[in-house]
Amino acid sequence: MIWYVSIGLAVLLALSVPVGAALFILGFGLDQFFSQMPLMRGLGQMVYSSSDSFLLIAIPLFVLLGEILVRAGIAERTYATLDTWFSWLPGGLVHANIGTATMFSATSGSSVATAATVATVAMPQARKQGYDQRLFAGAIAAGGALGILLPPSINLIVYGFLTQTSVPQLFMAGIVPGLLMALGFMIITAVICTIKPEWGGPSRSFTWAERMAGLPHLIPVLMVFAIIIGSIYTGWATPTEAAAIGVVMALGIAAFYGAVTWANMRAALLGTIRTTSMVMFVIVGAYFLNFALGATGLNRALSGFLEGFGLGPYGMLMIIVLMYIVLGFFIETLALMIATIPIVVPIVIGLGFDKVWFGILLIVLIEMALITPPVGLNLYVVQGARKEGRLSDVMVGAIPFVFVMLVMVGLLIAFPSIALLFAPG
Amino acid sequence: MTGSDRLAARAMQIAEALRTANRWIALLCGTVLLVAVALIMTEVLGRQFPAMRIGGADELSGYVMAAIATWGFSYALVERAHVRIDLIHNRLPVLGRAVLDIVALASVLLVAVLVAWHAYDVLAKSLARGSRSNTPLGVPLWMPQVVWFGGWAWMVVTSGLLLGLTVFLTALRRFELVEQIASIPVETGEVE
Repeated sequence: MIWYVSIGLAVLLALSVPVGAALFILGFGLDQFFSQMPLMRGLGQMVYSSSDSFLLIAIPLFVLLGEILVRAGIAERTYATLDTWFSWLPGGLVHANIGTATMFSATSGSSVATAATVATVAMPQARKQGYDQRLFAGAIAAGGALGILLPPSINLIVYGFLTQTSVPQLFMAGIVPGLLMALGFMIITAVICTIKPEWGGPSRSFTWAERMAGLPHLIPVLMVFAIIIGSIYTGWATPTEAAAIGVVMALGIAAFYGAVTWANMRAALLGTIRTTSMVMFVIVGAYFLNFALGATGLNRALSGFLEGFGLGPYGMLMIIVLMYIVLGFFIETLALMIATIPIVVPIVIGLGFDKVWFGILLIVLIEMALITPPVGLNLYVVQGARKEGRLSDVMVGAIPFVFVMLVMVGLLIAFPSIALLFAPG
Repeated sequence: MTGSDRLAARAMQIAEALRTANRWIALLCGTVLLVAVALIMTEVLGRQFPAMRIGGADELSGYVMAAIATWGFSYALVERAHVRIDLIHNRLPVLGRAVLDIVALASVLLVAVLVAWHAYDVLAKSLARGSRSNTPLGVPLWMPQVVWFGGWAWMVVTSGLLLGLTVFLTALRRFELVEQIASIPVETGEVE
């Protein structure tokens, strides 16, 4: 039965069956071939209860929040400001890429959206100022990946929903590792560009007056982030309520910049429904498969199978980490995460690890999958916005950042408190 | 224009109409989402100013989520936004790709039919028992469920039509048109 599920999933995905449909079909198969109970009778109720959710509506709300802010030109202004603050560092604008991606991650729940936004704003600058585009583009792909670690994060909401983990705790747990990783990205950029200045571009200095003049442009993003996180942290609002407040604030900011037009709103709403439906189809499929796996006892069989190796908790954890790194080369990240959660998380919990902590570790691994070839969505997104050169340039440029992520994985395992420090119990 | 050109053009007209219809549905979904935002805000502000409180925002937003996600599935389908792995797909010749596109649409149709079938059971049971939600609002459950069931039924229609058109265009060997309606889009940075 273990082989049925893993091989079946691999075959369906290889045939390019949509991931959500593949998960459903595996569930149907379990019912047909392995279950004593008629699981299909629960199908309708399962699908209904996974869609009718006050928690999950946070997903479209956070997507909408990001969509509105992008169209208000927030990214351009943030980028110009961070340029004046960071361009004196070795690596120059590359730091502005990372900084803008970090700021934008803090209001956007999606890595792909973050990478796409920053790439659109930043790539023209790389051309204008004659940067080596490899590191420049790699930094955008990696910085964008922060979108799912720094709250709000769609992936953390999905993880919380599927594993019944507190989303506020997950959000809080993501902040320190996310900021540490952004810092790590900047350090490695500075180191590389000190050793090999030709990998970066011209360092430029700005006057303090110029730097100060830009600061007001950072206020909207920081304010949205502070209110969302503050209200969740203090328990004053649920993630969904915080998301709704965020949408209202984003509308206010867009109105301030004169960006609430019919065309903008239409595009933002359509984009939101498209992204939400794409994510939800996979979630609903995973939810049903989860139910089928539980009912047929596969979860227990798999745990027993793995425990049979006698590797101990950390040995098992290493196997799981390696599995994600390898699968991450080939499988699209959302699919990878959602399809594996029902199987992997119960095992990890059984080994005695913390659910919140593992959620953060999983996200870092997923971020790595986003920027490792051949299938790394962020690489494609950045290359798409670049419209010149070769995809392999972006892949090469992303390698130093993959290294930082590996270090982060190690740190999280060695010092779990990095994630758990600010996660209230 | 040959007869087959005319048939292909007619097929594309149907595909275009399906897309337009789904875009309007998606816009309606987006508008309903904005209504949910307003509703949730009355709840949040209602904690400070009890006069604003309507109550039941969480329950009603859940119904909104069930409605917009389900009806949005079809929109995502015509926009080719559902996640598919193209590892093998993009290494095949056009005919092979068209065959995989047909397999993909057929699998979506299978899922839509089975879920819609069982979704109808859920709806019929709520109707027969007159079930109401176990909350102060006491909403008759058939109301949100009929919208939700409708979304799955519409998914049967959309995926069925798309599948038919894709098979038809493949038989006419108009692979460039198959690509337009059923293939995996090349990543351009405009996704999401």
